[in-house]
Amino acid sequence: MRSAAWRISLWASLAFAIGSMLVFAMLHRFVADDIQRRSDAWLSGEVEVLGDVAERTPKDRLYRRVVGEVAELASREVPNRQRSSGDENDAVFFLEAADSGAAKLWVGSGDGAANLSAIRSTRIMSDVPFDVQVEGFGAPFRVASVRIADGSNIYLGLSERDERHVLRNLRVRFLSLWGAIVLLGFVIVFFATRRMLGRVREITEAASRIGQSDLSSRVPDTRGNDEIGHLARTLNHMLDRIENTVHQLHTMTDSLAHDLRSPLTAIRGKLETALSSDVGAEHTEPIVSAIDELDRLTEFLNTSLDVAEAKADALRLSLTEVDLDELVRGMIDLYEPCMNDKGLGVQLRSGGSVKVLADPALLHRVIANLLDNELKHLPASSLVCFSLRTEGGLATLIVEDSGPGFDAEVARHLFERRVKGRESRGHGLGLAFVEAVVRVHGGSVTATNRPEGGARLTLNLPLYETDKHEEPHALAMEFNPQFTRNRVREGLNKSSDIPSGAEARLILHRLRRG
Amino acid sequence: MRLLLVEDELEIQSFIKQSLTGAGYHVHTAGDGNTAALFASKQVYHGMIVDLGLPDQDGIDLILQLRKSGVSCPVLILSARRSVDDRVKGLELGGDDYLTKPFAIAELLARMRNLLRRNSIQTEDATHLRVCDLELDMIRRRAIRGDEVLNLSPQEFVLLEYLCRHAGRVVTRSMLLTEVWGMRIQPDTNVVDVHIYRLRGKIDTEGREPLIKTLRGVGYVLKGS
Repeated sequence: MRSAAWRISLWASLAFAIGSMLVFAMLHRFVADDIQRRSDAWLSGEVEVLGDVAERTPKDRLYRRVVGEVAELASREVPNRQRSSGDENDAVFFLEAADSGAAKLWVGSGDGAANLSAIRSTRIMSDVPFDVQVEGFGAPFRVASVRIADGSNIYLGLSERDERHVLRNLRVRFLSLWGAIVLLGFVIVFFATRRMLGRVREITEAASRIGQSDLSSRVPDTRGNDEIGHLARTLNHMLDRIENTVHQLHTMTDSLAHDLRSPLTAIRGKLETALSSDVGAEHTEPIVSAIDELDRLTEFLNTSLDVAEAKADALRLSLTEVDLDELVRGMIDLYEPCMNDKGLGVQLRSGGSVKVLADPALLHRVIANLLDNELKHLPASSLVCFSLRTEGGLATLIVEDSGPGFDAEVARHLFERRVKGRESRGHGLGLAFVEAVVRVHGGSVTATNRPEGGARLTLNLPLYETDKHEEPHALAMEFNPQFTRNRVREGLNKSSDIPSGAEARLILHRLRRG
Repeated sequence: MRLLLVEDELEIQSFIKQSLTGAGYHVHTAGDGNTAALFASKQVYHGMIVDLGLPDQDGIDLILQLRKSGVSCPVLILSARRSVDDRVKGLELGGDDYLTKPFAIAELLARMRNLLRRNSIQTEDATHLRVCDLELDMIRRRAIRGDEVLNLSPQEFVLLEYLCRHAGRVVTRSMLLTEVWGMRIQPDTNVVDVHIYRLRGKIDTEGREPLIKTLRGVGYVLKGS
C-alpha cells in the first residue's frame, strides 16, 4: 500500500519534472536566441556607423581621437549590459586593422594583440556577426566586421559575458524553483495518494473481516462522491443484500425448526404421558419405539438444517480458541469404553497442543459423528487411529481405520446429503455435516480408502495464529469447555486427569460463594 | 414448591403441567409474557419454566425484565430455536438452564430439580461426600465403599462425584454429557451407558446393595442416603 503511494507519486513527479524541464528548455532557447539576435542587430548597426565614420573622417592626427570617441560612445549603449560590471572596456572592443600587420586603431582594454590574432585565426563570414574566443577572456566575443574603402577592416566586438550571465541567472532561478515545486508536488501527491489508498485499505480490511465472520458490519463509508466513496457504497449495498439473504435463510430454517419442533414436542409429551400412565406391557414397546423414531427424526431435522446452513456458508458460529489435541482426547476418552466393548481399539497420535479458531460445540459434534460412524460400521477387532499434526499453517486430523473402507459406489458422493452405505441405519447426513462444518471453518475434508485396506478421512483446519491472539469474549471463554477445564486444572492443581464441567461448576460455585 | 410455567402452546403446556404436578409441584401457567409478569409480580415462585417463543415478547426479554424487577428464582429455558442465543448462554452462566425442544419429560424434571436444588442453600462438606456406605474423599480423589478403596480412573471418579451430588435424583444422559464431559452432543450410540456400566461394575460388586439404578429411556439414579 505504502509502496503503491510511493510509486504513484514518484511517477507523477517524474512526469511533471520532465515536462516542465522540456518547457523550460524551449523557453531558454528562445530567450538565448532573442538576446543573440538583439546584440547581433546592435553590433551590425554600430559597425556600419563606425565604418562610415572611419571612412569619412580624414586620416589626420584627430582621426584616432574622433573614431575612438565614437567607438567609446557606442560601447556605452551596449545591450544587456549589467549594471554591476565596472569596466566597460572589458565588454566591448573596437579594432581597425588591415588584413595583415598591426592594428591601426584599438579601443578597449589591453593592447588588442590577442583579439586581433584571434580574429585573424577565425574564419570570417562577412555581414554576419561571429564568435571569437580570445585568450585571457572567459566568455567569447561576438564580433561584427565591415570593410572600409582603404582596405582595412573594422571590427566591433561585444563580450557574451553579460548575455551568459543573464542566461545563467535564469537557469539557476528556474532550477531552484523547479526543484522546490517538484518536491512539493511529490509530497502533495504522495500524501493525497496515501490518504486515498488508506481509504481503499480500510475498505479492503473491513471487507475481509466481514467475509470471515461478521456480516452485520459495513465498510467505512465516507460521504465523498468520488470513486472510493462509490466503491464503499456499492460494497455496502452488496453486503446489505447478502446479509438480507442470510438473514432470510436463518429466519426460514428457524421458523421451519420451530414449526416442526413444537408439534414434535407435543407428540413426544403425549407419548411419554401415555407411557407413564398404566398401559399394558404389550402397548409399551410400540410407544417406546415411537419415541425413539421421534428422537431420530428430531436429530435428522437439526442436522439437515445445520447442513443446509453450512452449505450456504450461513452457519452461526461462536468462535473461540480450541485445542484440537485436548478436544479429540476428551472425545476419545468418552468413546473408548464403548468402542472397547465392541472389540474396537482406538488410539491418538499427537505431538501436543494444536490451536484452531473454531466453534467447540460444532467440533464436538464433528468428532462425535466420526466416532459414531466408526462404532456403527467397523467389524470387531478393528483399530481406529487418530493422528493430529500441523503442517504449513494447517491443523491436520487424520482418522484411519482397519475396516472394510468406503463402498466404491458411495465413495464418490461421500459428502453429499443422504448418501449412505446400503446397510447403514443412519440418515446419511453424518459426513455431509462433517464436511460442511469443516468448510465453514475454512478447512477441507478428503476421504480415501487406504491402499492397505480401511478408510481414511483427512480433516484440515487453518491453525490459529497466537500472535493475533485477542482476549475472547468473557461469555465465550466461560462457555468453552476446554477453557473451563484448564481453569479447573489450575484450580485443583491436578495432574493430567480429565477434569469435568461438573467440577468447573463446583469451583465457580465456590468462588461465587466466596 | 410453586412453579410458573410460561408456554403459549396449549398442548405442550398441558402435558408439562401434568407431569410437574405429578412430580409434586404446584404449577401456575401463563400463555404470554404479560400474564407471566403479572403473576410473578403478585406471587413468589421457586422456579420458572419459560418458552422463548412467546406471542407477545421474546422469552429472554421476559426473563431479563423479571430479573430487573427483583425475581431471582432459577429459570429453565425452553427453546425451539436452532442456535443458542448468546444471551441464553449468559443466563446459563448465571445459574439458569436451557432445554431444546423436543425434550424428554424426565429430562425436564431432572433439570428442574437440579435447578431448584442449586438455588437452595446446600450444606456440603467440601472435602468428603457420603452416600449410603459410599464415601468420596475429594482431596485425595479416592472413593471408598464400606472399607474397601475402589480403584477408579480419574474420569470415573468425576462421574461418580456427579452422581453422588445428585444422589436420589434422576440424571439423564445429556445432563451427564454436558456436566461431566462438557459437551452438548447427542451421540446416536450408547457411549454414556458404557461408562455407567463400567462404574457400576466397580461399585456395585457381588454381594453389595446396587447403588446405581438405570431408568429405561430416561437415565440413571444413584440411590440416596
